[in-house]
Amino acid sequence: MNAPLPKRIWQWFTRTRVGRSIFRIGLPESNLEQSQVMVSSFLLHVQPVKVHRHSLRASYSLGLGLILLYLFLILTGTGVLLMFYYVPSTEKAYDIMKDLQYVVSAGLVIRNMHRWAGHLMVLFVLLHMCRVFYTGAYKRPREFNWVIGVGLFLLTLGLSFTGYLLPWDQLAFWAITVGTNIAGYAPVIGTKLKYLMLGGNVVGQEALTRFYALHVIVLPTVALLMVAVHLWRVRKDGGLSRPDEPGDIVQQIELKQLPTNKTYGLMELARGTTPQVGKNPEDEVFAWPHLVFRELLLFLLVTAVVLFLAIFWNAPLEELANPIHPPNPAKAPWYFLGLQELVSYSAFWGGVVVPGLLVTALMLLPYMDRQRKGVGRWFARERVVANTIFSVCLVIAVVLTIIGTSFRGPNWGWVVPWKQPPAITEGH
Amino acid sequence: MNDLSVRRFYGWFTVLGLLVGVLVVIGYYRDEYRGWKDYQRKFIQEEIRRASTPQQRALAESTPVQIRQILLSDLNRVDRCTTCHLAVEDPTYGGYPQPLAYHPLHEQHPFERFGCTICHRGQGRATTTTDAHGDVPHWDHPMLPLQYIQASCGQCHEAADNPAAPELARGQQVFEDSGCRGCHKLNGVGGVIGPELDKVGARRSPEWLKKHFLAPASVTPGSAMPPQKFSETNLEAIILFMLSQTGESAPGYYASMKVIPSASEGQRLFQQKGCIGCHSIGDKGGKVGPALDDVGLRRPPEWMIQHFRDPQTVSPGTVMPRFGFTETEARALTDFLLHLRDQKVALSLPSLMSPAERGREVFRKYGCAGCHGTDAKGGVPNPNAKTAEQVPGLIYVADGYTKDELKMRILKGQREIPALDAKRPPPPLYMSAWAGIIKDSELDDLAAYLFSLKPKGENLGF
Repeated sequence: MNAPLPKRIWQWFTRTRVGRSIFRIGLPESNLEQSQVMVSSFLLHVQPVKVHRHSLRASYSLGLGLILLYLFLILTGTGVLLMFYYVPSTEKAYDIMKDLQYVVSAGLVIRNMHRWAGHLMVLFVLLHMCRVFYTGAYKRPREFNWVIGVGLFLLTLGLSFTGYLLPWDQLAFWAITVGTNIAGYAPVIGTKLKYLMLGGNVVGQEALTRFYALHVIVLPTVALLMVAVHLWRVRKDGGLSRPDEPGDIVQQIELKQLPTNKTYGLMELARGTTPQVGKNPEDEVFAWPHLVFRELLLFLLVTAVVLFLAIFWNAPLEELANPIHPPNPAKAPWYFLGLQELVSYSAFWGGVVVPGLLVTALMLLPYMDRQRKGVGRWFARERVVANTIFSVCLVIAVVLTIIGTSFRGPNWGWVVPWKQPPAITEGH
Repeated sequence: MNDLSVRRFYGWFTVLGLLVGVLVVIGYYRDEYRGWKDYQRKFIQEEIRRASTPQQRALAESTPVQIRQILLSDLNRVDRCTTCHLAVEDPTYGGYPQPLAYHPLHEQHPFERFGCTICHRGQGRATTTTDAHGDVPHWDHPMLPLQYIQASCGQCHEAADNPAAPELARGQQVFEDSGCRGCHKLNGVGGVIGPELDKVGARRSPEWLKKHFLAPASVTPGSAMPPQKFSETNLEAIILFMLSQTGESAPGYYASMKVIPSASEGQRLFQQKGCIGCHSIGDKGGKVGPALDDVGLRRPPEWMIQHFRDPQTVSPGTVMPRFGFTETEARALTDFLLHLRDQKVALSLPSLMSPAERGREVFRKYGCAGCHGTDAKGGVPNPNAKTAEQVPGLIYVADGYTKDELKMRILKGQREIPALDAKRPPPPLYMSAWAGIIKDSELDDLAAYLFSLKPKGENLGF
């Protein structure tokens, strides 16, 4: 036995009475156990016993969905820790931010982790969406999962936006003021919607209470359920999307063949588009260890990146919110700055029509684009038209966001970020 | 299961596991290491060094290294300054270098009641030197330089008669004398040409204020304000007074001593409450009650205080009504009467003054001197004004106006000042409309004062 020490300890533990009662199957030693471990464990059972080699290719999926899941977990964990201290009161919230920084053990790092993981989640939702689009992965039978994904994208924005207000500093106050003003531009329901969100006409205690409730219970619960459905559908749709032809590109992955001393057979009833129909079982490998280990490694990587950011960069905290001193310019959170830039040209078109059309188009996309070709490959030539349209929209959104973020100064005037703007003195 | 790809997983687990481990250790160290702990250990070492008995030594050694804070719930403040400044209450640390120096104890301002930042400003919740001292981005209240510390007295106490804050009183004097109110509103009184000053002390730094007084346009481009010529002491005093105007009001207990009982406060009360109607000082005033010039010789202070609270209890049958003076007011009035014993006081009672004398006070009250010059002699620059690029003096108004015309002009003001050169920017200073601000009686007195300014024996006519 030349296994590494941690493995030997683990093996010993899972053979004890207690360990066996908890884990049932220890470290799998045979193909049978490799199967059993996947179906006997609550955490693992959502995944198949065997997984298509294509699904394991990091260059295909980039692990973006998993990264999001991990960010969500990190946000939940750090969020709960922050809730131990936080009070959604305009009198106290800001002071608590200061206390987290100065006297709570690891308070600052936890807040930083939460902040950066939150920003990363918005970013990775967008990247994930791009990946799914460019690989044509939203096509039948995964159309509705794409719609759920769009829903999760909106939920993520909602989670980030509601969390943005909680520190109750100038940044929070004015970003939410600007953000909810954009919502107020909607025709007919705009002002009502804004009133509903804020519990009043301006950002105040009522808004803070509402945003807090949404941020810590409503949106996370909905998001958790939708994530569960999202993942369940991935499983039911046969894992990640891949090209129709079996054996097309699967050989590219290097996996040493496992010992083929099978003394049993896996049987499943399958129909429709589930993975076993017409597939070559040799294209598949056991999820343990090939999938599970990769997932764990990615979790470590995501944790390391978030920790690194949190240790060396502090989450912003400006002055206490002051309703009578708006910063100039007051900016929405970065992911809404493209919208804010559009709104600066026209409140109605930029704040209502464009975002409304975009979300509708995203939701309807899988039902409009019915072509079956080019699924499971990045930038498939058959999808050049769709990819071009998507890329143009994406580039416009990114450019608008960059302009809104870096090129807009006082009174939303044009500034060049690498030039020091003239000192602003309060005019009298 | 020991094939190559699985082995490679173990390699990656080791690398990433170590990376996360290292980051956790770094995070823990950065969180655990805090500068204030060093200061506390130094303090404990010093305490151990100074210990002369084993008990003292044991006590010093058992001092915990922990955050110290003063919770001030009424003020919504938490001052953690004593986390580093551990010896503020220990006189034996007098002369020690910071952060271990002793803070002379203020008997009326015990630390546990007042904390530190209410006077010194800075960021009480912070526990690092730079953040706590507050000169950092996104913190509006950096520590007040010690030379301006008296500004903080003005937050709770009336500026003028705080015997412990002479600089503050001087600053207020300079403010009123210089006619700042002609353009600026403070506590609701003043003009509208310049911005309100109610919160200026919270917004501006001493450096900014200094530049503002000496060369207003250098900090506020296009400012209409004429540069001020203050002496060095007056400049510092008015900066200090400005810094005291934070617009924050201390609650409850802290506001209870707004007025500090003093002779001058007593004098003001004496004039305000109409005591002179019955009593006389220096042969001026009523004859119903006794003259008060030497009452300090006849009555002990305790008697006088009780007399002010309830006259019947010390002199039964007296006709003096019970005015319901507060403890502080009774004390101030007593101080004033005791002060009379030692010194003659010239009362400035409006009822005893001539209209022109009262008008002079009005001229001062509304800051007219800010533009029209001391004693209305003019000389304040107003670039591009037709009147010799100056705000005109007012000593000859009696020649150009009737009293009614003059009063109308004060009430209506003059927004457009004729320009010398139409191509240049219009004159920045203009005459505010004082209607609604100045009282009718004050306006009458002011007109009388301005008419009285015409030099005697001159009647040039226009």
